[in-house]
Amino acid sequence: MADKLVVSTSPHFQKPGSTAGIMWTVNVALLPAGVAGVVIFGFSSFWLMATAIAFAVVCEALIQKGRGQKVTISDGSAFMTGLLLAFNLPPHCPLWVAAVGSIFAIAIAKQAFGGLGRNIFNPALAARAFLMAAWPQHLTVFTKPFVYDAVTSATPLHLLKEGKAADLADMGLEYWDLLVGNRGGSLGEVCVLVLVLGGLYLLWKGVISWHTPGSFVGTVALLTWVFGSRQGFFQGDWLFHILSGGLALGAIYMATDYVTSPITKKGQMVFGAGCGVLTVVIRLWGGYPEGVCYAILFMNGLVPLIDRFMKPRRYGV
Amino acid sequence: MKKLWRELWKGVFSENPIFFIVLGLCPALAVSTSLQNAVGMGLAATFVLVCSNILISSIRNFIPDKIRIPCYIVVIASFVVIVEMVMKAYAPALNRSLGVYVPLIVVNCIILGRAEAFASKNPVLLSLADGIGMGAGFTFALVVISFIREFLGSGKLAGYTVIPGFEPALVLALAPGALLILGLLMGGIQWVKSLRS
Amino acid sequence: MGKILAIVISNLLINNYILFRFMGLCPFFGVSKQTKPALSMGLAVIFVLMVSGVFTWAAYQYLLLPFGIEYMRTVVFILIIAASVQFIEMVILKMSPSLYKSLGIYLTLITTNCVVLGVTVLNTEDFFSAGKAISGSFFYAALQALSAGLGFTFVLLLMSGIRERLELADVPESMEGIPIAFIIASLMSLSFMGFIGIKI
Repeated sequence: MADKLVVSTSPHFQKPGSTAGIMWTVNVALLPAGVAGVVIFGFSSFWLMATAIAFAVVCEALIQKGRGQKVTISDGSAFMTGLLLAFNLPPHCPLWVAAVGSIFAIAIAKQAFGGLGRNIFNPALAARAFLMAAWPQHLTVFTKPFVYDAVTSATPLHLLKEGKAADLADMGLEYWDLLVGNRGGSLGEVCVLVLVLGGLYLLWKGVISWHTPGSFVGTVALLTWVFGSRQGFFQGDWLFHILSGGLALGAIYMATDYVTSPITKKGQMVFGAGCGVLTVVIRLWGGYPEGVCYAILFMNGLVPLIDRFMKPRRYGV
Repeated sequence: MKKLWRELWKGVFSENPIFFIVLGLCPALAVSTSLQNAVGMGLAATFVLVCSNILISSIRNFIPDKIRIPCYIVVIASFVVIVEMVMKAYAPALNRSLGVYVPLIVVNCIILGRAEAFASKNPVLLSLADGIGMGAGFTFALVVISFIREFLGSGKLAGYTVIPGFEPALVLALAPGALLILGLLMGGIQWVKSLRS
Repeated sequence: MGKILAIVISNLLINNYILFRFMGLCPFFGVSKQTKPALSMGLAVIFVLMVSGVFTWAAYQYLLLPFGIEYMRTVVFILIIAASVQFIEMVILKMSPSLYKSLGIYLTLITTNCVVLGVTVLNTEDFFSAGKAISGSFFYAALQALSAGLGFTFVLLLMSGIRERLELADVPESMEGIPIAFIIASLMSLSFMGFIGIKI
């Protein structure tokens, strides 16, 4: 009974459905992207997802048991963390790396803060950033799409960052390729089409709102249009940028995580815009080719301050 | 005699400056990337701590209360200057890898803290023991942290590869890893403390 | 222009004094439980950094170098810093006694804040070469001091916001207090890694 008396900051929004209901709805929305990952990169993707999910779920069960709490793995949140972590890894990443990542995500980024609803940083992204810093050699090897024996190939953003290609034509790709996933990249980020469909499903079900993803993608589009071209301002290939890298995955599924994003709608717009600015800064001027992961993590840290300064109006006061 | 021994040992375990009093964190994280750095910094800081404890304890009855902190700082800073010069002359490689953290010994909270909390109120011999004990505890903590960081973060110990084929988690040699290791160590210690009580 | 931006970004983000250089950790963990004292502490540190940054640069340029006593740098600098802190304390006491009271001992402890001595020492390493000041040295030194202070304040603020929120969470007993603060700092440091290699 005690853990039904939750004291948290207001407002307490009432959404139809329980926590478990919402989590599993998101998992369902993510599954097509997982299937796409297997279709595009081969069966190793399946094992990567399975490993990440298994370690996340078992880790959470063990920790909750050890703390004497009720084991809540059936609420689907550990499952989702494992799945999202796998989506952010290269498809042929060694399984042990994913396992360590899942343990980090659950034990450190989630349970150490008190469990579901209490973490500040998105666990899957925190784990990915940790893995990138720990074993960069495994996190930066990407493979060709539709060639199931791992053949290394650079992602479009890598080619752009290293100056090996100036635009899509140089890379031998078209926008359609980016949309469908005919490019190198992380397991779950490449098939933008399926990710967007899942996002629309979540919007329809009322699980996410358009504010965060809208301002995130919009900001990236605007800034890359203004600054993205070497030939001058206002000539950037913004369509390329919103279809590449982890933007679709990040904006729709990771930046919208209730726990780590602002409570108010205005706050969410600010949050999304901030993510967008940082993503573009890192993509265009930073050392890494892709910035979505760090952008979201950085903004996660700002969320308590955003919430504090954007407290909703108290009517009748 | 027993009192001396007690003052000495408390610094290493029960009142370890880093793990229990939680002071001197800056160098603990910054120089714990390798065992050599840890030992080097530990010895340098211990030297300054012992000397300043002795001096401050000897003149404790002559320092006016109002300006005692600046006095302590001048004493400590002078010994740090000595350490800096000696290190530059006889251990230039160590000096280079410790970098700006050598002059920062002067603001190491442990040294000022012990001056204020102990040396200013106790006779010279006890202060000497306290200095040696705290310095040893500080060095011990640094060694523990850098053992973990060097081994897991670069696969080496004191520069020698230990397990061939082990893929180290590079992040542990970097800032986020240092903070993580220290957080987990502190958490572990708090857990052990709570088991005891 | 490039150098100015490089100094600002480096001190503010990439080599942030708290999250990457591990300086200023004591106040970072001590004053970061609430946003108001955190902001006040940050501003006080910026003041001290500016004042002592200027005077330590002058001392190095006009006193230590000409007389060949650079090795006295540590002693001279720490005395200047202690004096700056005394000065700031008097100013704050006059301007806002309640602020003075809320900062308490931590105001005096700015003297031992590694950031202040660290920045002043790094100024002499970065902006002097072979015993001579490089061109624009004074300006760069002041800029470095300001950016370091801003970076320190920013991270302090971030931390206080997070810790305020964690008051309502159910952190495991063994992690309460210092341990979870370190974990938070570790994750913040990870997120700051995104800024590595920025060249505008």
